[in-house]
Amino acid sequence: MDNLILKVCTKVLFTPIILFGLYVQFHGDFGPGGGFQAGVIVAAAFILYAMVFSVEDCKVIMPPKLNFFLLALGAFLYGFVGIIGLILGDPYLSYDVLGTTKEAGQHIGILLVEFGVGLTVCNVMISLFYSFANFNFGKKNND
Amino acid sequence: MIGEIIINAFLVTLMLTIAIFIINTRKVISTILLTGTYSLVAALMFVSLDAVDVAFTEASVGAGISTILFLAALSYLPKEEKEEKFNVKHIYAICTCTIVAGLLIWASYDLPLVGQLENPVHQNLAQDFIEGSRNHIGIPNVVTSILASYRGYDTFGETVVIYTAGIAVLVLLYDEVSKTSKINKEKNK
Repeated sequence: MDNLILKVCTKVLFTPIILFGLYVQFHGDFGPGGGFQAGVIVAAAFILYAMVFSVEDCKVIMPPKLNFFLLALGAFLYGFVGIIGLILGDPYLSYDVLGTTKEAGQHIGILLVEFGVGLTVCNVMISLFYSFANFNFGKKNND
Repeated sequence: MIGEIIINAFLVTLMLTIAIFIINTRKVISTILLTGTYSLVAALMFVSLDAVDVAFTEASVGAGISTILFLAALSYLPKEEKEEKFNVKHIYAICTCTIVAGLLIWASYDLPLVGQLENPVHQNLAQDFIEGSRNHIGIPNVVTSILASYRGYDTFGETVVIYTAGIAVLVLLYDEVSKTSKINKEKNK
């Protein structure tokens, strides 16, 4: 797409969108929000970039390999936080033992777990967009 | 109270209008955009029910990202749906829809009123969750404490479902993706 206004607006908006996503991610304990919403918002920034510039340009700032790695890392982080609790002598996915006090442990656990959810959701959305944008459904590759 | 009724009536009318337009339109792109609008109005509905977290999810996932993904998939579809003449299939569909809608409306008479204290939802675990969220977990947003702590297994399951869905799409399409990008790179050289 060759539209100067769109390109400039995207460059201006890209960082605030990600910042808003991070706010939603880490403020989820105190207000509405959490991993699912934040992941989608951050993914929207990358998808906007890919739509206005091109998918190849977006692959420079978010390479597919990093994308796949983060996709798996999110789900792994969630499960791993649960296993830490298990090792320290609590039931799976109970965060009481993670901090010095029970409340601190819960805070750390919930923050990490939500971050894992956010990572997975964000990168699944980006990889879905990559797949759909690049896939040739039986079309001949003419351009 | 009257204000709430007016707002709800407005939102429901809006949703109905959008639904009718979705049924009538033949262009794929307007169907997708109208579905997004429908999700946005549904999000407003959740806000009026004080379910802000659900509204947030609906607005970002339903209205935002799924519309974009549909638009990305749209380029592989024909631009317009074929016009179909009225036939027996339509009569079956109308009958099924009427019966299901009738049953749902009938069942809705057994639902308790929204926000009453003696509703079954407020009787069992809700009290423990609300008190525990303040005393044990120390997080003001009860939704987050239920989602991440009390129902951690469920959320883990959801995350794994999303992960699996993403992997499944990649397994189906990634081979082709890498091939096409290789072809593009060779052409650019």
